[in-house]
Amino acid sequence: MLILSRKLDEAITIGGKIVVKVIAIQDGQVKLGIEAPKDVLIYRLELYQQIQQQNLKAAGARKQSVRKAADRLQKSKPSK
Amino acid sequence: MKLFNHQFGELEIEEKHLLNFPDGLIGFEQNRQFIIVDDENSEPFRWLVSAEDSDLSFPLIDPSLIVGGYGAKLEGSADVTMFVVAALSERPEDSTVNLRSPIIIENKTGTGRQIVIEDEGLSMQYRFITPSAENAK
Repeated sequence: MLILSRKLDEAITIGGKIVVKVIAIQDGQVKLGIEAPKDVLIYRLELYQQIQQQNLKAAGARKQSVRKAADRLQKSKPSK
Repeated sequence: MKLFNHQFGELEIEEKHLLNFPDGLIGFEQNRQFIIVDDENSEPFRWLVSAEDSDLSFPLIDPSLIVGGYGAKLEGSADVTMFVVAALSERPEDSTVNLRSPIIIENKTGTGRQIVIEDEGLSMQYRFITPSAENAK
């Protein structure tokens, strides 16, 4: 991993198209401003990983599990 | 066109029903083309089946069937269909849906995206099946 030190209002650029700037530093939190082309998707890493995990789990479903869950849903249909 | 999926076998689909996910799904960025498959035994779940990877399919469900007022959180949801991705377990009550990052499909263009809603109150592992079979309310 490349490690760079930056001060408030300083920035880095990635690939010439992405700029990440330090906007604020306060109480152990760093606020970053990011400029990137529209097709570059930006996520908080832990959020991305959690969603990826859920997608992976979903993708592993067999028809059988889906049918079971479907049965249970049909049976316990909430009124709203 | 014909499409093969390991769970559903050979599927005959019309090209106009192909959905284009320009960014794929989160963690599955390489998979861009999908089709919705309905299996009567899976209802009310539907399947998002990859047109490129015969092993890949995601069970989806219309969130309004399991949580009230969910869609209202999205603005500009004019002509779109919304689904949440369901992670189903052997034990149905352990099954969850991801309310934080639904799938939005533009009906007109057939373009799909998995978005992330900026609301930490939305669970990524929302249990939607009550442990007891009796749930008359």
